[in-house]
Amino acid sequence: MFKVGSKLFLGLTGFSALTLVAYLIFVERLALGGVALSMVFATLVGLSAIVITVNDGDNEVQPRDASLVRASMWPLVTVAGVVLLILGLVVAQVYFIFGIVVVLAALTEWLVQAWSESASDDAAHNDSARRRLLHPIEFPVIATLGLGVIIFAFSRIMLAISKSAGAVAFVVLSSLVLLVGAIFALRPALKPAIVSGICVVGAVGIVVGGIAGQGAGLRSDLVEAAEEGHYTHRECGVEKSKYFDKKAMKTLSLRTNPVAIIELRDGALSAVMTGFNEPQKSVSVPRGNPVTFIFRNFDAAERRMVASLGAAMGTGAESSSEKEGHSNANETCTQLIPHGAEQALTITYAKPSIAQVEPLTLTVPGVEGQAIEVVVP
Amino acid sequence: MRGAKRLSVAMVKVRRLSNRLLVTTGAIAVLGSCATNAPQDTWQPKGPNAKMIDDLQQPVFAVAGIIGIIVSVAVAYVIWRYKDRGQPIPEQTHGKPALEITLTVIPALILAVVGVFTVRVVFDLARTDDTELVINVTGQQWWWEYDYPVQNEWGITQPIISSGQLVMPAGTKVLLRETSRDVIHSYWIPALNGKRDAVPGRIHTLRLEADEPGIYAGQCTEFCGLSHANMRMEAVALSKEDFAKWVANQQAAYQAPAEGTLAKEGESVFLNQCVRCHQVDGLKRPDGTLAIAAPDENVWSGAAPNLTKLMTRNTFAGAMFDLLRDACRDDVWKAESAEFGEKYLAGVDEACLNVNDLRAWLRNAPEVKPMYANPALLADTNGKYRGMPNLGLSESDIDKLVAYLLTLK
Repeated sequence: MFKVGSKLFLGLTGFSALTLVAYLIFVERLALGGVALSMVFATLVGLSAIVITVNDGDNEVQPRDASLVRASMWPLVTVAGVVLLILGLVVAQVYFIFGIVVVLAALTEWLVQAWSESASDDAAHNDSARRRLLHPIEFPVIATLGLGVIIFAFSRIMLAISKSAGAVAFVVLSSLVLLVGAIFALRPALKPAIVSGICVVGAVGIVVGGIAGQGAGLRSDLVEAAEEGHYTHRECGVEKSKYFDKKAMKTLSLRTNPVAIIELRDGALSAVMTGFNEPQKSVSVPRGNPVTFIFRNFDAAERRMVASLGAAMGTGAESSSEKEGHSNANETCTQLIPHGAEQALTITYAKPSIAQVEPLTLTVPGVEGQAIEVVVP
Repeated sequence: MRGAKRLSVAMVKVRRLSNRLLVTTGAIAVLGSCATNAPQDTWQPKGPNAKMIDDLQQPVFAVAGIIGIIVSVAVAYVIWRYKDRGQPIPEQTHGKPALEITLTVIPALILAVVGVFTVRVVFDLARTDDTELVINVTGQQWWWEYDYPVQNEWGITQPIISSGQLVMPAGTKVLLRETSRDVIHSYWIPALNGKRDAVPGRIHTLRLEADEPGIYAGQCTEFCGLSHANMRMEAVALSKEDFAKWVANQQAAYQAPAEGTLAKEGESVFLNQCVRCHQVDGLKRPDGTLAIAAPDENVWSGAAPNLTKLMTRNTFAGAMFDLLRDACRDDVWKAESAEFGEKYLAGVDEACLNVNDLRAWLRNAPEVKPMYANPALLADTNGKYRGMPNLGLSESDIDKLVAYLLTLK
């Protein structure tokens, strides 16, 4: 005879089959939903087969001592997680993900608590079993979350105050931490209440400071740097930026994955590309795809690389240029970089070379007669 | 009572059925590995790179298999020998250091030996300094684009762009520079090398080399959306002489169909409908200006297959469909190395054209290949398609287009 679990899974399987058929008939035959429902159906068929095969585990129902069952908050937390999850479907993905985390965590706690309460007739032993299983997970997770909140709050403080005040705050705070740590170490007999009190006051102070820092916002130079584009900032006229990444060596550009490295060396411009044993004078790049060039300046003077975008460009880079109010020409550039420095430039060529009146090129102002042709098939 | 008995009988039958299903599934999985004509068999390397992997995986598989059998037999023996028969619990000990150290050192030594050879193969497969031919490969939902940068030593004086089939010279160290226009894809021709992901914004390299002329099948191996399973590729290896002929033909000027022919009418249909996304190099509008496709305005990935010389390829729609009828396709696929090039370079003519699939594709592409091409569902992509939409062409227009496409050789 089918038991409760088998009936449940068979019912779910039948329901998913009906849903799949209805979806295929009334919605769309080749849509992603059909694929998902097919997978749900197949999974349920497999689970049903397993449940029926093992005869629902065939466990005899154990009489349970009601006095061993404690009140549990986890059903409530699970419901809260489900509410968050459903809210997230409508409002924002972050609530949805947070809801999933809450539901999974609460279900885990709930399941382990329920299991431990039926482990034996000794409530103390049951509680010990729960703690042995969950504490190795709970303590690191709670500690990580707590530290995360404190670190995040501290970062808000540091971003809100000036650079010099930040340095002072860092020195003072770290000295306090060192001092308190030393006291704890030298006075191991300190009352736990005092130790806890100091830690709580310190943590609450940082969190309150972080909230205040978030309310005050970023300090002015960070706001200015963000507005002018910072690392992605580019300009073809007189340098206007104060905060750009002048020496990107060992930082941004080396972490990118360039289509070519454009080098200015001994007055000659060349393209170095993986797979080509010799420097090239033309670079073939895919159409409609962001590609990154790295410009390396080995000239004694400060140089920048200029990329002509052609008359039929129409890219995000163009609109960005207009937004920042810099060059109106159909070109984009790295900034002036000194000898030995390098900088990345990312461009999307939306139209092929044959659509351009003039060839697409990479040049360096002041270095005449040298150009790398960019070929967009 | 009778109802309960019937249910009990039904349950027994369901259990038997479940067991049979499990056994059958297992048998199918095992027997599936016995196919002799599997074009994507990883155990049949056809080039030095795949051979390197094969030379590594064969002994590793043997070692792992032997160890797996030993462990399985030991576990089965222990389960059977010491299962609960009501005997008293044996004496509990707290470890045997000598045995534990031995059981740690032996696997560590085995892994170290395997590791040395693996690292060597990994580094050999990552070499790029001995490249003889570079080909750029761009993945997008759900097809591969190949463009051949200018390389005068191979007669490539202007970029060649193709899709579906990667054409390369046999016995040559080819380096693919892979990237992607939308999501992560993975390029894999099992007979020629392992897999390499094509990642947006990055250039990943993959060495390919085929010993002999022939066609080698592959498959995208990174789940990339609705038609991932249909994102196929074929590497076509030609002798160096045949490759030179292929290069010369790909760079040959566009030949417009003769006036007054069905193909000429098809050219007009192409200009009105297809050129919005598909480029045919050299094709001109009636006013004499070059027809420039604008996939960046219509397609989410920003590109659609370039159809210049379409009929020199054997596949279309991301290599999902053959341009050749079965008999003609078999003739090419099963050709001996010496005559393969000649048969492949013959391309597709009217007699060999797989007209049914081509017409079905032109009639309603999303019906034959799952794609996000429903105009009503494009809100998230700014109205741009992922894949080819249903253009609502009439049967007459399809006739004309087929006639025109046949001229693209």
